[in-house]
This record gives sequence, C-alpha cells and structure tokens, in this order.
Amino acid sequence: MTTKGEFLASIRAQMRTARDLFSASVAKRPEHPAAEADTIRRELAERWPAILERFRVEFERVGGVFYRVTSLDEVPAVVGRLAREREARGLVAWHAAALGADLAPALEARGLDVHEMPAGETAAAAERERLRAITAGADFGLTGVDLAVAETGTLILVSGAGRPRSTSLLPPCHIAVFDRTALVESLRQVGVLLEAWHRDGAPPATGAVINFITGPSRTADIELTLTRGVHGPKEVHAIFVEQGIRG
Amino acid sequence: MSDGELAIPFRQRAGSALKDAFLQEALTIATTKFIDLRREAFEDFPEGEALRDRARAIKEATLQRLDHYLETLIANIERLGGHVHYAKTSEEARAIVVDIARRTGARMAVKSKSMATEEIHLNEALEHAGITPVETDLGEYIIQLAHERPSHIIAPAIHKTKGQVADLFGREFKRRVEADPEVLTKIARDELREKFLQADLGITGANFAVADTGTVVLVTNEGNGRMVTSLPRVHVALMGVEKVVPSLTDLMVFLAILAKSATGQKLSVYTTLVRGPRRAEELEGPDEFHLVLLDNGRIAQLGGPLREALSCLRCGACLNVCPVYQQIGGHAYGYTYPGPIGILLTAMLEGTRSVRDLAHASSLCGACADACPVRIDIPRMLIALRREVDEKKIAPWVERVAFTLLARLLTRPALYRLAVSAGRVLQRPFVREGTISRLPFFLNDWTRTRDLPAVAARTFQERWAAEQGRTP
Repeated sequence: MTTKGEFLASIRAQMRTARDLFSASVAKRPEHPAAEADTIRRELAERWPAILERFRVEFERVGGVFYRVTSLDEVPAVVGRLAREREARGLVAWHAAALGADLAPALEARGLDVHEMPAGETAAAAERERLRAITAGADFGLTGVDLAVAETGTLILVSGAGRPRSTSLLPPCHIAVFDRTALVESLRQVGVLLEAWHRDGAPPATGAVINFITGPSRTADIELTLTRGVHGPKEVHAIFVEQGIRG
Repeated sequence: MSDGELAIPFRQRAGSALKDAFLQEALTIATTKFIDLRREAFEDFPEGEALRDRARAIKEATLQRLDHYLETLIANIERLGGHVHYAKTSEEARAIVVDIARRTGARMAVKSKSMATEEIHLNEALEHAGITPVETDLGEYIIQLAHERPSHIIAPAIHKTKGQVADLFGREFKRRVEADPEVLTKIARDELREKFLQADLGITGANFAVADTGTVVLVTNEGNGRMVTSLPRVHVALMGVEKVVPSLTDLMVFLAILAKSATGQKLSVYTTLVRGPRRAEELEGPDEFHLVLLDNGRIAQLGGPLREALSCLRCGACLNVCPVYQQIGGHAYGYTYPGPIGILLTAMLEGTRSVRDLAHASSLCGACADACPVRIDIPRMLIALRREVDEKKIAPWVERVAFTLLARLLTRPALYRLAVSAGRVLQRPFVREGTISRLPFFLNDWTRTRDLPAVAARTFQERWAAEQGRTP
C-alpha cells in the first residue's frame, strides 16, 4: 500500500516539473470573519423585510411552502393544520433547547404524537437505534434553521446536540421554524458566516455535518420527469416567526 | 467498461448509437433541456462570468500548491478522528475499500453517485469480495439493475425509457409495475429506504474537500448522499486528489456555479458538508470515517499536457453542448467518462493509446470550452492528443503516412504546385459539381463522411501570380 509519505513525494516530484498555467490566487478569506459577520448581521437587521421577501420567492420557486406568523404561539396551529390535511400525527422534533422553544405541549394538544429528540447526552447504541426507528416512521420532522439564504431559497441546518440530521431527512414532511436572526442574503455571506463559525470553534461549528437544503428532495432521472421525495422529504415547509423564536 | 464492449471499435459503437431511434430522441430532449436550463440560470446571474474566472483561478492556485493543501486536509481529517488512505492505482483503491468493508463485517454497502467509484470499477470488486453494493441515486440504481454503465455524468440513465424502467423493476420485484415516473420513484424510495437503514457501510465520492476544515462536500438532489453519510456505521469517501479546495470561502465560489452549470438550479437540493465521524453528543453519523485519496494517473498530469483537465468539476455541461455527444450519447465513448472532457480524462487515466479513435470524436467547435464553468480549453488539449497519437505511432499507418506526406507537401511550394497540377488531372473521374464525394480504395475513409473540394481550374496562387504580372 502507498504511504502518505510516498504519495505526497510523488506529488512534489511532479510539481517540480510542472509549469504554472497562469499566475493565480485562491479566494481571499475574511481576515476577521467574526467582525465581518457582525457587520453583515447589522446591515441585514435593517433590510430584513426585503430579504425575507426574496427568500420567500426563491423558496417557493424550488418547491417549498412558506408561512409568516407573528408569534411563536401560532406555529402549532400551522403544524396542526398540516397534520389534519395529511391525516397524520407522528412528529419528531429537535430538542426544545435546539429549537429555541418548547412546542411539544401545544402540538400534543392539537392531537400530534410528539417525540422530542434528547438534549445531547451520550446515548447508547440501542437507544440511538430506537430513536432512529421512531424518526424513520414519523410523518413530520420539526427543526430550527441556522441560516436561511435569500439568494437561493436555502435552509442551512447544522447537526449537533439535540439537533439530529435525520429529523430533516427521514420523515416525508420537513417543517422548519426560523426568524430574522437566521436570514442572510447571499452565498457569499454564507461563506463569511461559515468562516466565522469555524474560527470561533464553538457550536454550531462543532457539529459533524452542515446541510444546505434547497427545497424538497427531487430527481429527474426517469425521462427527465421531475419527481419529488425520492429519498428525502417530499415536502418542505418554512415558518417565519416575526417576533422571533426566543422571544 | 467490460472488455467485450471495448473489443468493438469506436466507429461501430457510434454507428449503433446513431441507429438507435429511442436513444436519438432521448439525447435530443435531454441535451436541449440541460442547455436551456443552464442558459437561463446564468442569464439570471450577472456575477456568474466573474465567478467562473474566480473558480478557475482557485483551481489553478490549488494545483500550484497541491501538496500543501492535501497535507492540511489530511491533518484536519485525522484531527477529527477520520482516517486517510492513499491509492496510486485503481487496484490499490479497490483493495483499500474492500479491506475496510471486510473489517466492518459489511455484507451490503449503500453508495451515493460517484464517478470516482465508477472509474475504479469498485462494484465488481465488492461483489467479488461477497459484499453487495447498492447504488442509491435513482439513475444509478436503474442502470445497476440493468447491468449497464452511466451514459451521462449527472443523468446516468437518460438512455432509458420509463417503459424500460418499469420492465426492469417488474422483473426485479416480480410484480406488474406501471410505467409512471412517480410510481417508479416511489418503488425505488421504499426499496432503498430499507437498504439505507440496514447497511453497515456507506460509500460516496466527493464533489469537494475543504483543506482548511477537513470537510468533505457532497452535492445531490435526491438526499441519498445524506442517507449514506448519516445512517451506516462506517463511511468511506473516495476522491481524486484534484478535488481539494483551500477554504470554505473558496467552496462557496464553486457552489455558486456548479449546479447552474449542471442542471440550471441555483443550488442542488442538498449540499452536505461532512466533517469526520459522529460526535459523542450526536445521535447519528458513522463511528468511522475514511477518506481515500486517489491518484490513478492524475498526479502525472500536474506537469503533463492534460493539467488543465484537473480543474474539471464533473458538471456535465460540456457533454450537453457537444455535437458529437448529442449524436452518440455516453456509452459509445466506451469508458467511464464520456463527452469532450471524458476523452481527456480517459487519456489521463487509461493512457493515450486508449483514445486513439476518441481523440478524433470531436468537431473542435469549441462549444465545450464555452460551456465549461471553469473554462477548460478542451479543444486545445484534444488537438495536442491527436498530435501525440500520431507521434507515438498509435494512429493507423495509412493516416500517419497520409498526414506526413501532406505536411511535406504543404511546406514545399514547388512540390505543392506540382501536386496541384497532378491533382487537377487525377481528380477528373471523381469530380461532380465541383466537389469530390467518393474516392476509391482506402481513400474513401475520408470521403465517406465528408466531401472534398476539387482542385480549382485556376488556383489562388496562379491567379495571384497573374495579377502581380499585370500591375506595374
């Protein structure tokens, strides 16, 4: 088997004979990503209504369903209506701390069968297996959102304690709740924020996976016919809470 | 590609593709649609052109310090608890993955779409070791059931009708299946969902790997990439060395143009950034994470004539716009990577000899270079490949002799004038309305597919000489 040393040596040997095709540099990374991230957030805080509108347009264009509610209290009603329409009641949710609010009682009051994911204490393999089976059998997955990107209609979710990746993947219907703190305008800004998280090294940067979700799962592999929900959710709903989730 | 198929010469493979009426229709519909979607995506995106230049510069700058970025990537992945492996050849890459699968005790491996695993023929090796590979991208799943190979980089089953897929599923699941994409997709979802939940091993490629953070990036529309990296106990990612990018900032530049070039989407549905194995506080993710870095002919091109091709993102845009691909589809090329970029990649991975015919499967119209998100000058390299095929005496001898003679003729004016006079006499029996459309013997190889203009009654040189004589 080739070792790391041999492998890199073969690359260096080739690089010595190589001529650069042209003089080139990599993308300029933000020097102070945290400060730049703050500037972006401050700037967005003033223009958020226009950016939210652009998010709505792009999110709907990729097949998402958008809702705007005034306060968190209205969220269970939206979810409850989805459940009634689909005659379904199994819901898995991120842990209340990860979601920013405890919606379980209100959802249960509307007839939903709610399974809240654990806060993040180390779970034994058997327990993880059990939770996975529940998630796989659920009708709805309720999550928060770390970033909502207006340019592309994308929801960005970072995995971590109390925020399993499967909540937005296994159930056929994904419901995401967010507020203006998650809104960003462009992929370029996402780059700055990701750099800031990484430099910072605190959650959410500690998560193993960052998922960009741009609409429901889709395929066009059979005669280029667009079909939704091939492996991931067939439906993605995003609920924007005007007054903010954390009150 | 099976040896049997390659035993058939390219010309014959292309010939059968041209006679396949369904394939012809499917290719026209698919390539036209992809071209339109791509054009619309970039029309709505004024910064696109500048970003394409940025992306290309990042690729080139990365290659200029490839050892550094790979070392950084390796260190970060190991710091996160992942393992990195090094494969010089496809044999070595297969052995590494099979070994991981054996140690995992896996009997089944779920795979998300990966050209790199196609390239090394991983599925055959897994099967040989008693491990069942399951392709989970719908298109790949279909062609796996049909025992075929992908015919397009991003739409592997575009050559199949829904009727053919329904028959295939019907045979596989022993029941009647309706030829409706919605129904067929649902069947695949149910079948594959079980497999995702059972499999011990998940195998993926990588669209990018971010050196700075140790992140492997997967871009999919179906969500299978997320399944494969979340549910099985072990995740193996196989990646060509050229896929590394320095930072997350660089990554965003590529994400902004990749899906637009491939399918016209602003972003594909899922872009998944994976960093190492499961964290203790998380419920899901693999206990083990492996990255296999693949050379297989790439490293030799760092200083070689095909260096530019190392910038390829595998978006498939050059296939759609290529007049040759539009006519013959992916299978006729005979290797893993079809289309204009595929010819270069085949030469890179399999050697120049393998593209002796393919080097000519291009009109050199330049549409591929225009469509390429990172502006790879594919025609330039195809011309260089043709020259190499000739110089290494790989081309058929008739062709070599003919072009050598022609080169002598064109560089010696006296000889050229003599040949023109001789040609004017010799061409007489073959000229019809100013063109020669049929030549005898092996010379017909030239005229079979194109006309040759006849030598003019008075050549330009002769008229020029006469004009010069008249002017004072």
